Amino acid sequence: MVNSLLSSVSSSSVAPLIELRGVVKTYASEAGEFTALKGIDLQIYPGEFLGIIGKSGAGKSTLLNMITGVDHLTRGEVIARIGPSPVSVHTLGENDLALWRGRSMGIVYQSFQLLPMLTLLENVMLPMDLCGLYHPRESRRRALELLEMVEIAEHANKLPAFISGGQQQRVAIARALANDPPVLVADEPTGSLDSVTADHIFDLFERLVEQGKTIIMVTHEMALMPRFSRHILIEDGELVSTLQPKAN
Amino acid sequence: MRPRWRKVLLDLFENPTRTLLVVFSIAVGVFSIGVIAGAYVIIANDMSASYAANRPANIELRMDDFDRDFLPVIENAPEIGDVEPRRVFNIRARAANSQAWTTLDIVAIEDFDKNALNLLTPMQGQSKPARREIVIEREVLKEIDIQVGEDLVFQLPDGSEKTLRVVGIVQDPTTGADDFLAPPFAYITMDTLPTLRQPDLFNRIYATVQGNGNDAEYIRRVAADLKDRVEKNGVTVRRTRSALTNQHPLASTVNAILGILLALGVLIVFLSSSLIANTLAALLNQHLRHIGVMKLVGGRDKQVFAMYLVMILSFGLLALALAVPFGGIGAYALAEFIASQLSFNLLGYRIVPLAFVIQIVVGIFVPLVAGFGPVISGSRVSVLSAISGDLASETGSKPQPGAKRETLFERFENAVNAALLRRGIHLPRPLLISLRNTFRRKRRLALTLFTLTMGGAIFVGVFNVRTTLFAYMDNVGRYFVADVTLDFSRPYRLSEIEQVARQVPGVQYVEGWAFASAEILYPDGTVAENLVVLAPPAGSRLVDAEPVSGRWVQAGDTKAIAITEGILRSFPNLKPGDYLDVKVRGQQDRWQVVGLFKFIDREGLIAYGTYEYFSRETNLANRSVSFRVVTDRHDEAYQREMSEKLDKHFRDAGYQISQARPGLSALNNATESLDILVIFLLIMALLTAVVGAMGLTGTMGMNVLERTREIGIMRAIGAVDAEIMRMVIVEGMVIGLISWVLGLFLSIPITYGLSLIVSLAVFETPIEVVFTPLGYLIWLGLVILLSVLASVLPARNAARLTIREVLAYE
Amino acid sequence: MTIPRSSVASTISPAASMLDIRRVVKTFKNAAGEFTVLKGVDLQVARGEFVSIVGKSGSGKSTLLNMMTGIDRPTSGQVIVNGQDLYTALDESQRSRWRGKNLGIVFQFFQLLPMLSLLENVMLPMDYAGLYDFDERPRRAMQLLEMVGLKEQSAKLPMAVSTGQQQLAAIARALACDPPLIVADEPTGNLDSRTADVVIQIFERLVAEGKTIIMVTHNPSLTARTTRNIIISDGEIVNETVARALPLLNHRQMLQVTKKVQRQSVPPGQAILRRDEHVDTFFIIERGEVEIVLQGKNRQDVTVARLSPGEYFGEVELIRGGKALAVVRAAPEAPVDLLTLPREEFLTLLEASPLTREAIGRIVQNRIEQNRSIDRRGKGWWPFR
Repeated sequence: MVNSLLSSVSSSSVAPLIELRGVVKTYASEAGEFTALKGIDLQIYPGEFLGIIGKSGAGKSTLLNMITGVDHLTRGEVIARIGPSPVSVHTLGENDLALWRGRSMGIVYQSFQLLPMLTLLENVMLPMDLCGLYHPRESRRRALELLEMVEIAEHANKLPAFISGGQQQRVAIARALANDPPVLVADEPTGSLDSVTADHIFDLFERLVEQGKTIIMVTHEMALMPRFSRHILIEDGELVSTLQPKAN
Repeated sequence: MRPRWRKVLLDLFENPTRTLLVVFSIAVGVFSIGVIAGAYVIIANDMSASYAANRPANIELRMDDFDRDFLPVIENAPEIGDVEPRRVFNIRARAANSQAWTTLDIVAIEDFDKNALNLLTPMQGQSKPARREIVIEREVLKEIDIQVGEDLVFQLPDGSEKTLRVVGIVQDPTTGADDFLAPPFAYITMDTLPTLRQPDLFNRIYATVQGNGNDAEYIRRVAADLKDRVEKNGVTVRRTRSALTNQHPLASTVNAILGILLALGVLIVFLSSSLIANTLAALLNQHLRHIGVMKLVGGRDKQVFAMYLVMILSFGLLALALAVPFGGIGAYALAEFIASQLSFNLLGYRIVPLAFVIQIVVGIFVPLVAGFGPVISGSRVSVLSAISGDLASETGSKPQPGAKRETLFERFENAVNAALLRRGIHLPRPLLISLRNTFRRKRRLALTLFTLTMGGAIFVGVFNVRTTLFAYMDNVGRYFVADVTLDFSRPYRLSEIEQVARQVPGVQYVEGWAFASAEILYPDGTVAENLVVLAPPAGSRLVDAEPVSGRWVQAGDTKAIAITEGILRSFPNLKPGDYLDVKVRGQQDRWQVVGLFKFIDREGLIAYGTYEYFSRETNLANRSVSFRVVTDRHDEAYQREMSEKLDKHFRDAGYQISQARPGLSALNNATESLDILVIFLLIMALLTAVVGAMGLTGTMGMNVLERTREIGIMRAIGAVDAEIMRMVIVEGMVIGLISWVLGLFLSIPITYGLSLIVSLAVFETPIEVVFTPLGYLIWLGLVILLSVLASVLPARNAARLTIREVLAYE
Repeated sequence: MTIPRSSVASTISPAASMLDIRRVVKTFKNAAGEFTVLKGVDLQVARGEFVSIVGKSGSGKSTLLNMMTGIDRPTSGQVIVNGQDLYTALDESQRSRWRGKNLGIVFQFFQLLPMLSLLENVMLPMDYAGLYDFDERPRRAMQLLEMVGLKEQSAKLPMAVSTGQQQLAAIARALACDPPLIVADEPTGNLDSRTADVVIQIFERLVAEGKTIIMVTHNPSLTARTTRNIIISDGEIVNETVARALPLLNHRQMLQVTKKVQRQSVPPGQAILRRDEHVDTFFIIERGEVEIVLQGKNRQDVTVARLSPGEYFGEVELIRGGKALAVVRAAPEAPVDLLTLPREEFLTLLEASPLTREAIGRIVQNRIEQNRSIDRRGKGWWPFR
């Protein structure tokens, strides 16, 4: 397979950008413990378009939350070599995480998560404002460029409610790219979109990968599998190597 | 503008209702504190300044008649500055076109052009009457409907009538300033006296001291010396009064009342701050997702914290913009109201810098302090919980790590549930939902209950204080049992008057009382208090006395009095059985105090003695100038009617009657001024209740907002609009009722506290607290009404949500 | 254990259909413009059916569900559930009441009320609907909880039980007022596969007892267990025959086929294809059966195969460009409804769906091989070469 070939090449020549070692995530509740991730080992290499595929409840979003540091792991390690020096994501405090995340990864969610009171331009400027990597004037210019790239520049001064879902997701992607992070993480980015729009988003991702971004995307749609440069399957909190036979 | 500040700005306008709620919560506190602080400062300044501006006399002597030749005795007395003699007498008057008689105090002034003390402030028309003209004090207008240019009709002692033209209206802030129950004044020249059949003689001296006009001790000494001097020269001094130049005699009373209002104002700030805390906590809760997004794209705690702090500051500034102008206007309005009640002038509208500063401090710091907690916890929330929204929705669809300990309340709840289940009792689930919803947000519930309970407790407390005051007045009424009081210009035999009075149908009983006025002396011989001794026959049915200590006067008592508790001001350690040095008709004497009783002291203290002793002392044995009449009915209207009948009857029979007063009128005058005070307190109580209701509205709104999804579920499983509304309203009512029960308890200390402050301010003595169910019942009705009103709007909003909106949140 | 219930009709006739959706259009308006989510949907579900609805996110399936539960109202069209027209006859509040008595809804996120115990949650719909005696309600709720295996947990709050148990309780709640129709929106979406299986077993039991269940799901292993599968794509319902015949197409392609096919009705016994006729259409059988008939050496017709609904013919010819070798005709018992797709469309479709091409390719291969083997025995009959 081409995909496995690609990853084996990368693994021999380049250090992984993000590395998960024996990651376990357990939720405790009054009803008992629930292990969402059962010891995940995973390497993600620069320039990959990685698909994490699994059914709802399989643990794929939890896995993503481990990579972004949004949720805390129970056991194991997450090492990221994104910035100048390697970072143990799981050891960072909330504030350091926020800053690290803001600079090194853009995150896109199924539900866009744009701030409704800000214009699209302001939404894209927000990460730059909060991380302080760009001068305010510079950030406005950059935000416009990004909106242009996702072909929303003409709506720059509209509020999120005034554009369609697909357009909102483009803005969310522009926002994710605001601080020019090397990694883009997307949790079901096409989940709320109709199929045509979803295609456009995918095209955009593919362009970004060509430009050198690393993209990690979570989806439950098997059909998207061929479009990733590599995919992993997750089921009941474990990575599975074989493709489940598709029913129907 | 940077996006994050734009967000703060836009958040302010995102939900105008919520912004208004927060701004109003802050503004209510700022407004109340501004009004009260402003009024306090304005009154403190203006009351005395306006008083001092009219050159108040430091010393007032009420004397027997004297003529101009006697004046040098006073003018040349040591330490005495300006001196002005006047004649003051009371007379019945009416407007020419009316038959309603009112008693006025007429002040005759020798030369209005040389008037140097107790100045009159012109209000309308002339301020200096010519012969056979009269100028009235503006208070007269409250009693008589009359205008400048119209005539006043006076009734002379012999029953004939004289008319004087009113040429002007003035204000006299100084004369009688310490007695807001005195009859209103009118002013004439000395040469008008003969018209009213008055001798061309003076009976009062107004004087200033040469030295420090603000040294009470010094003034009293000068006054005592002056009195001695006058009496040595053969004129009896009936009463001495002293006053400071720069302090209104009622300033301490007014300050005490303003103090109560200030305390309530602080309380309202306190309550509004809990309202703010509640609303901000809910706002932060609604903004969790935004906070999560900001943290997701790189925002740190500090940045988020700063954003919401700025937001709170903006709320504060908006509230200030709203409350400061109104607070200033309100302060002046309140000051003006008090000024008009106490008859002094304000120095003009102005902004009180102190009040301004206090308002700004309250408007900025109270929200900051109240919002600090919610903002800290809001800005510390983790991205995960913020984005997944499980903090806001309370659903627990994502289990929180770690089992949490059962709280005491939950244990109680579980025990109740288990007990009900054991007995197979099932409450209807919709009711159960309302009940359990009530206790879901415990911190919010606590704050809401605190506000509402406080409001309710104060409301109830004010009612109790009102009842307490009126019970006290009723108590005072025990000493005013007579239906009509007849005063004559000369003494008549008891049997004679009784016989004549009984000719009027309805008269059942007549009693003649003796009077004596005396001065109570300090051991050093200076005057401590003026004393009026009322002396009904021993065992009189017209005094239903209830001494607080010692006993009442009884037959056989000589040189014995029961005196009001007011005496304790000057002699704090006085006990029944002790003796007081007094000066009666210029002679020193020693009276034993047999008992103390509660009474409203006006123009000096009141004591009761026996007719038998005091009538002999005043050489009026078996005679009297003052009689008490009991009629067959006791309502005020009948008393008034009987007074007029008796007045006419005695006059027709040729008796020199000076006045016939209905028994309740004096009492009602006093009650009226208490009413004003109670109304003030009630307004403050309502304000706190409104703050409480606002809190409840806010809470119910937030609850509904947070339970939007649950409401959707209920509709999805068959709940109709009415059911949803009922659920919300019942919850509001449960909160209201809990606060009512808590208020039952809290109102007790509040009642005691308020009563103490008020009674000290008004009566200068603590009075016995009386509780009334009325306040509790009214508050019960009101709190149910308020909680229903507070829930109706949120409930309607809840019912309007369509399920789609509700479930479309995924 | 059977659930207590009042009455269940099980006749399957259009008049007695449980759900009748007619030309329902739903358009959402917002500042960004209009967006039509349902584009004239027609759907009938008979009593006692266990229907799964499949569609990607954004396809309109949740909106469709909201139409049949009376949660949202259509822009135009009619929805009749259990004989009740939901939108013309009832206002929002009446719909709530109606829903409480006639419809059980099961949500993906369970949506139990957190302040009530499981038992109280199950009793609540009876309270709202005013059904059953006040004292009867706890007994009935307990029976329902027992049925889903939660008797022991009945006094616990939803927080205190597992997500699977929450969903089971939610099902018990949906059954509280014994509604004839249960609508479930991804009922197993948040459950692990074992619990999901328990849920489906309960559903199957309910269907066996006469309930009608309509369930939205993502999970292909669940659709296999329903009696009928409906696919919705971009606001339109895919022809069920097309979906059955060409399961490897993606939903959009199925919808394209649904729009391109034409209906053709053939009376009993009439020929559809004649031998050597040039074939330029792909045929899918929607209703009825067709016979493949070969003329024997003695010119006698020999029926060599019968194809039933969901099967197709004409593909070998279209792929290989040959002529029909056998006669295809409608079976003599009943008329046949066919869906036909023109040659170019068919070929474009195969181009777009390699999986389908592979699958059909395999079938063609099989049939040709079968044909050859029969030919070798001198009985070659397969009409397409």
